[in-house]
Amino acid sequence: MAVVELIGVTKTYPGGTQPAVQGVDLRIEHGEFMVLLGPSGCGKSTTLRMIAGLESITAGTLCIDDLVINRVPARDRDIAMVFQSYALYPHMSVRDNMAFGLRRRGFSRPDIERRVASVADGLGLGPYLDRRPFALSGGQRQRVALGRAIVREPKVFLFDEPLSNLDAALRTSTRGELARLHQNLGATMIYVTHDQVEAMTLGDRICIMSSGKVVQIGRPMDVYSRPADIFVAGFLGSPPMNLLPATIEVDGGSHAIRLGDQRVPIPATMPASDMRPGPVIFGIRPEDMAVVTADSLEAQVATVAPLGAETILSLALPGVPQEALLRAARDVALRPGDHVRVACDLATASFFDPDTGRALSSRLSVGA
Amino acid sequence: MGFGRPLGRGLLIVALALYTAFAASPFVWVFVLSLRTTTEIYADPYGLPLPPHFGKFADAWLGSSYDVYFMNSVAVVFSAVAIVTVVGAMAAHCLARYQFRGNRALYFLIFSTLIFPPQVTIIALFQILIEYQLFDTRIGLILVYVSLQLPITVYILESFFRRVPSDLFDAARIDGYSEVVIFWRISLPVAWPAISTTIIVNTILLWNEFLFAIVLISSDSKRTLPIGILKFMGDQSNDVGMVATGLMIAIVPVVAIYVFFSEKLIQGMTAGAVK
Repeated sequence: MAVVELIGVTKTYPGGTQPAVQGVDLRIEHGEFMVLLGPSGCGKSTTLRMIAGLESITAGTLCIDDLVINRVPARDRDIAMVFQSYALYPHMSVRDNMAFGLRRRGFSRPDIERRVASVADGLGLGPYLDRRPFALSGGQRQRVALGRAIVREPKVFLFDEPLSNLDAALRTSTRGELARLHQNLGATMIYVTHDQVEAMTLGDRICIMSSGKVVQIGRPMDVYSRPADIFVAGFLGSPPMNLLPATIEVDGGSHAIRLGDQRVPIPATMPASDMRPGPVIFGIRPEDMAVVTADSLEAQVATVAPLGAETILSLALPGVPQEALLRAARDVALRPGDHVRVACDLATASFFDPDTGRALSSRLSVGA
Repeated sequence: MGFGRPLGRGLLIVALALYTAFAASPFVWVFVLSLRTTTEIYADPYGLPLPPHFGKFADAWLGSSYDVYFMNSVAVVFSAVAIVTVVGAMAAHCLARYQFRGNRALYFLIFSTLIFPPQVTIIALFQILIEYQLFDTRIGLILVYVSLQLPITVYILESFFRRVPSDLFDAARIDGYSEVVIFWRISLPVAWPAISTTIIVNTILLWNEFLFAIVLISSDSKRTLPIGILKFMGDQSNDVGMVATGLMIAIVPVVAIYVFFSEKLIQGMTAGAVK
């Protein structure tokens, strides 16, 4: 186990005008499972590769257990990495793939045999130890890659989108295996993915990145429910948070949200009730809206998308230029064109500055 | 099952049989000639070797210094191919894997030497070898062969190394290995199909190389097989039978190399295909 700390870490590639990673501050605690999440090109893999020692650091400091390792080569960092492509040595058997790193570190032959056999048994790879990687299925290769990392018992595990080449069913089961592995080993793990489900289910904390910068760090449900900006709000969740142009109005002492042609009063107890009047982006998750019979927002059903476990309704609100998504029960009896009344749970809503995109009433902040 | 499938299969067999006959008949004819005397050949060029003169192989090997030429060829060609393979693979690995200033310029400089016919270099090479007292030495010929085949070897291997995923090398770095060990333990084995190709091509080309061998070697004791065979072709007469026998002796190592390395080559390619 180890503490990994990045202080103002920046990476600029030769000839590049913009840094690929810019001023990343991140501390990963002993035994923590940290997920770096973001879209393609956001710098998460580059950050991971800098931690691994596979990319040089242009500026900033990288520490493991308070030891600065900016210039320590990858082979001396006591780190193991699982690659997206698995990176198994094609000319070696499963046994040799797993033993390769141990041989370099001077373990005795019996010790290597014992470690490899133990890890292989744990991962169900015992019968395949003498096979070459090309004679294994995708899932088996993935487990060999995991085994190669585990057998080393490193200080830090790094995962670079290790599940992205698996089919949906295998991905779900392997995700569970990874979670159990983290519980059993208790090791510090850093996991890169663009898949929010992996991030939400695996991470103790999530670090969301965009355009080479950290946008928000926090526990999965905190990040989900209180996004720091409209990028996080739109990136997390499927379907994502509704981001609707709105205006905060103050009439006397009471606040209200104007959504197109309609007005939603804000109770005085709500977090947004102290906001100044003016335009905002109103963010509300699809599951925090409900079709009701009581007096509330009017809407017209635009589309109905049954997904099996639930139904996603697309709603047109009068005077609002974009449609809002609502997560309804699977047996909802509505059709396109129906007029409905919709309630929003304002306690869970977020408000964003339309100019900067930053949250106005978010309880979490960057670096939390 | 219709009529078309057996017909198509039959046509394919006929086409393959014709091609095999076209490709193999010169080899078979030389083999037949190698078992006949020159007198028999002039009397009936297309006759069968009845009776076969197997003793001609012993005559050529012992009586016409073929053993010396053969061993010279083995020493020169195998040394040159070994050096070309190792040095070429190292150069290709560096050019494909490491981004350094002048990488592409160096690559195109090496590549550009393929444009020139090797004959244009022969006078310069002749003078250089004399200058360094390497003229009429096997080491001199080996160095010339290395310089001749290095560009094409680097070209073939560089394009192969470039396609090997860089994750493999990163994984080996994280496993704790240095760049040199990674070359020997990862790059070379992974590139084995391409390396087999270059070994086959270079061995065949150099085994049959004539021009540089005849210009840069003057002593009979240092001649290679292609020059040795020339002994049977004089101004006044050609000993066609012995030339054929010499050719058969010369072919054996090339066929052996091809059989051994092509099997490895196919193994490597199959492994990649299944993957």
